[in-house]
Amino acid sequence: MVISVIVVVVLGTFLFGQINKSVVEGSQKTSVGEAFADRLQIADALAPNVADQAKAADGGQQGSANPLDAVMNAVTGAGAGGTQKRYDVLVLNRSLPGASRGSGSVVPEDVPASLQAGVQRNIREQQYDKPALGYMEKIKFADASQARLTYVVGGVVHVPANGQNYEVYHFFPFNEEEELLVNVRLAIVVVGFGLVLLLAAIAYLVTRQVVTPVRLARQAAERLASGKLDERLKVRGEDDLARLANSFNEMAANLALKIHQLEELSHVQRQFVSDVSHELRTPLTTVRMAADLLYDAREDFDPMAARSAELMQNQLERFESMLADLLEISRYDAGAATLDLEPVDVRDVVLRAIGDSEALAERHATRFELRLPNEPCMAEIDNRRVERILRNLLFNAIEHGEGRDIVVTVGADRDAVAIAVRDHGIGLKPGEETMVFDRFWRADPSRARTIGGTGLGLAISREDATLHGGWLQAWGQPGEGSQFRLTLPRTAGTDLKGSPLPLVPPEIEMRRTWRTAMTPVLLPALGGDGAGHAED
Amino acid sequence: MRRTERLGLVAAIMALLAWSGTGCTVIPPTGPVTLNDISAGDPLGKPFQRLIPIGPRPEWGIEDTIRGLQAAMAAYPDDSSVVLEYLTPTARATWSPAGPVTVIDDAFTVALPAPGDGSEIVQTVTLKGSSVATIKEDDSYVPAAGQWERPYELVKAKDGGYRVNALPQGLLLTSSDVERAYRSTNLYYLNRSTEDRLVVDRVRLRMKPGERFAQTVLERLLKPPTEALKDAVSTSFPIGTTIESVTSGEERVVINLSGPLDPLDLSAEDAVRAQIRYTLNNNDVAKGRTIELQVDGEQYSVDRPGSDEHWLDDSGDSAYYVSQGAIRYLGKDTSGAYVPGAAGEPRGGYSKFALSKESTALVAAVTSTGISMAPLTQGGRWQEVIHGEKLTAPTWHRDGSVWTYDRDADVLLRYDPAAGRGPQRVSAPKLDGLDVTRLRIARDGVRVAVTTGKNTVQVGALTGEGPGLVLGNLQLLTTTEVGFEITDVAWADDEHLLVLAQSKDGQILNEINVGDGETVGVPLKDRLESVTALDDRVLAAATTEKGTKILELNQDRQTWTPQIDSNAGTPLFPLG
Repeated sequence: MVISVIVVVVLGTFLFGQINKSVVEGSQKTSVGEAFADRLQIADALAPNVADQAKAADGGQQGSANPLDAVMNAVTGAGAGGTQKRYDVLVLNRSLPGASRGSGSVVPEDVPASLQAGVQRNIREQQYDKPALGYMEKIKFADASQARLTYVVGGVVHVPANGQNYEVYHFFPFNEEEELLVNVRLAIVVVGFGLVLLLAAIAYLVTRQVVTPVRLARQAAERLASGKLDERLKVRGEDDLARLANSFNEMAANLALKIHQLEELSHVQRQFVSDVSHELRTPLTTVRMAADLLYDAREDFDPMAARSAELMQNQLERFESMLADLLEISRYDAGAATLDLEPVDVRDVVLRAIGDSEALAERHATRFELRLPNEPCMAEIDNRRVERILRNLLFNAIEHGEGRDIVVTVGADRDAVAIAVRDHGIGLKPGEETMVFDRFWRADPSRARTIGGTGLGLAISREDATLHGGWLQAWGQPGEGSQFRLTLPRTAGTDLKGSPLPLVPPEIEMRRTWRTAMTPVLLPALGGDGAGHAED
Repeated sequence: MRRTERLGLVAAIMALLAWSGTGCTVIPPTGPVTLNDISAGDPLGKPFQRLIPIGPRPEWGIEDTIRGLQAAMAAYPDDSSVVLEYLTPTARATWSPAGPVTVIDDAFTVALPAPGDGSEIVQTVTLKGSSVATIKEDDSYVPAAGQWERPYELVKAKDGGYRVNALPQGLLLTSSDVERAYRSTNLYYLNRSTEDRLVVDRVRLRMKPGERFAQTVLERLLKPPTEALKDAVSTSFPIGTTIESVTSGEERVVINLSGPLDPLDLSAEDAVRAQIRYTLNNNDVAKGRTIELQVDGEQYSVDRPGSDEHWLDDSGDSAYYVSQGAIRYLGKDTSGAYVPGAAGEPRGGYSKFALSKESTALVAAVTSTGISMAPLTQGGRWQEVIHGEKLTAPTWHRDGSVWTYDRDADVLLRYDPAAGRGPQRVSAPKLDGLDVTRLRIARDGVRVAVTTGKNTVQVGALTGEGPGLVLGNLQLLTTTEVGFEITDVAWADDEHLLVLAQSKDGQILNEINVGDGETVGVPLKDRLESVTALDDRVLAAATTEKGTKILELNQDRQTWTPQIDSNAGTPLFPLG
């Protein structure tokens, strides 16, 4: 818009300048030409001619005795049959009496002072052949009520025979040209204004034609991204935008197809796992009963067979728990998991879970350090599932804790309760914080499962936490051990805004702050000190 | 917008730009369009040039100062201040520009005093020239002749140059100045006695810068006529009428009058319209344009060009001639036919015929006992109406009366056939004691040309009405040179009088404007006996070895064409 205004203004100014120039220059040229012709005529008439003088002597009184009168009659059209000229002429000779003439109502005072000065300078310097001088000025004539634009051309007529000089001024009215130019300017302004409006309208239309489809495409893409796979663009016409819409629609259709296929596949797999788990239980029950019989009668067997029965019993138990976990997780996958909520003191749940893990901890020579708040931490939770989570976390900590102490902290605030389980084992490598919750994931594939975890514990725990609307997060650092934090809302169904406990253990956080605050000179000493601490 | 449409739009814009850029049709050809003709220049004005006065200059001598003063006088009505620059305080106190304007020949001389020792305080010079005319205060231009000499006193100015200390009263112009600044102008008034015909009055009007000539003319028309027509004409404008404005439109001239003229009373409308129209048109102003008259802005009358012209020509334009005492028609169709009645019968004893206007159709002629009259009708008889032995040739007035001058009794006689009475005397005090040889009343019924003696023509006017009718305002028009004798006078139109004079060596025929004495000679080839004229037509009877013949002056006013080759004399037009 602004550009179009500027372009129109510049074009209009240029156009007006051109018209102005051609009109004014043309008129001035004509005027100067007429003035020159008149001056020639005057000079011709005033030059005493021998033949003329002889004729005058013969003719006596015939004709106008004064050659200036005769030529002025011709120049001004005052003679018989003459027509009125569009300009006025003023002939001035200040040194000869009765040799100044004027037409119309011009008087010597009408001549612009600077023009007169210029003409008189030409006379003084005897430069009679110098080109005439032009002067454009608004002059108020005696018979006019207001000043009108007049182009005054001044020149010198020099009569060599008697050395007389005549100042000749022509007054050309330029008010018609001025009026014409005013009209032209008005027309240009009006046309320019119309042009700007037209450009604005065209720009608006074009923008609307182009921007609207693009906006529609963006909205469709956003809806597609948010999962509405059946979103399609309307295709109109055959232009580029229509092709874009076509491509978009094809892409959306392909995506939907692929996603559908993957969903199908995933569903089939889960169904397969669920079916397998169910199908395995029936023979396993039978095998279990048989194995129980053998195990109970193991003392009757020779030592080899007795040992086999024991082994079989252990592995069957593991098999069973693995099968239970698989069923549990397939229940999650099928979306069949439900919560059995009741207000519970979280401390009791923690204590029960620790009690369940005591035996295992003793086996690994691991001690628990409990940091429980004094007042009850009530929350609406599924008792069984939270206990299972904690059990899984504790088993996990014992397994990877390498016999060092395990710290269990419970924290609470107005909205949420949190339980953190900290071990001081080998820790987690960067990036493993999320992978630990993947199914059947292990930190070091070469390491054997010592306590017989199924590899699904953390995955199930995370599903449990999510089912509560809570978080289960992990932190770990090689050599520093790891910490798992479970955060649950006090009231089921409310969104969590934060956790009462930090994910990173406070001592680690404190050390990191120190390190960044220390001067570089002190850093090595501190670093060594820090390392020493870590080994503690 | 679809792509194809946008492409189409772009293509259209490109095509438009290309088309406008070629410039081959900047001015498109168009078919015939009705156009209003606009004549060049202002229809109400006339171009003219003015003399620009220059004040006295220190380097000027006595002669230049006098010439500068004269030039400044020529421009006095435009710029009165410059003349005063030439005058000493004494002269300013005594000199007045009022009074008649003296016009002298361009080639005047300044006679310088004998060179003194340079210590004279006052130098007296004499300006010598030949008189040309005077322009009186009533704007009439009266030709004059003879030498003109006046003394001027000059003193030296303090800053060099000279100032005029004493000078004759009034303005002094040269004939070039008059030609430059004045225009001969015909004003039209109404015939006082009948008020049905316009009478022309010729004046010299000064062009005023800043005022259109039409306005100048009309304002003069509202003033009384010149001395020559004083009391002889009337005007249709009530006293107190003024010109508010004169404006011109495309094809219309609007004249706004103000004063006691009643827009609802149209009795004077025709005359007002005629006076304005003829005054403007016959001075080449607003020719061919509709003239709208307004009174205080209200439309009063509209005059369209080419409307009825009875205000000037209504006396008839048939030509006649006399052959062996009988009057015969002179025309293309009826040439040679005799007029009906006794006048058409060849008989002797009647001479110096005169025809009345065609509507009354009477002819008068001089017999040895008086003046007889005969109607130009079948069975018309000659009848003596004025008795007298030494009567001048009869002349008809447009009111139907026949006039003559009884040279025995020195009285002017008027006989009106309609009145049923004998001839009446008309007072002509200025003619008392003069040898009146001819009397011709012009067709306007106002002007009368009188020849006294053998070589003087005077022009007077019939003033007053009814019993108070007087032939007055007599002014000298022309005198012939020594040795010449006037043989005939005839009115051409209202302002031109043909004067035929002859001497032993030859003849001259002059057409003289009775208003300003402007004289145009007509070349002659044959010896003329008598002339008659009606507007542009001039007929003359010429004698050759073969007898008399009728000649007509051609339009070029230089050559003559024979109309009737033999046995024809005394051509006649009605009136005049």
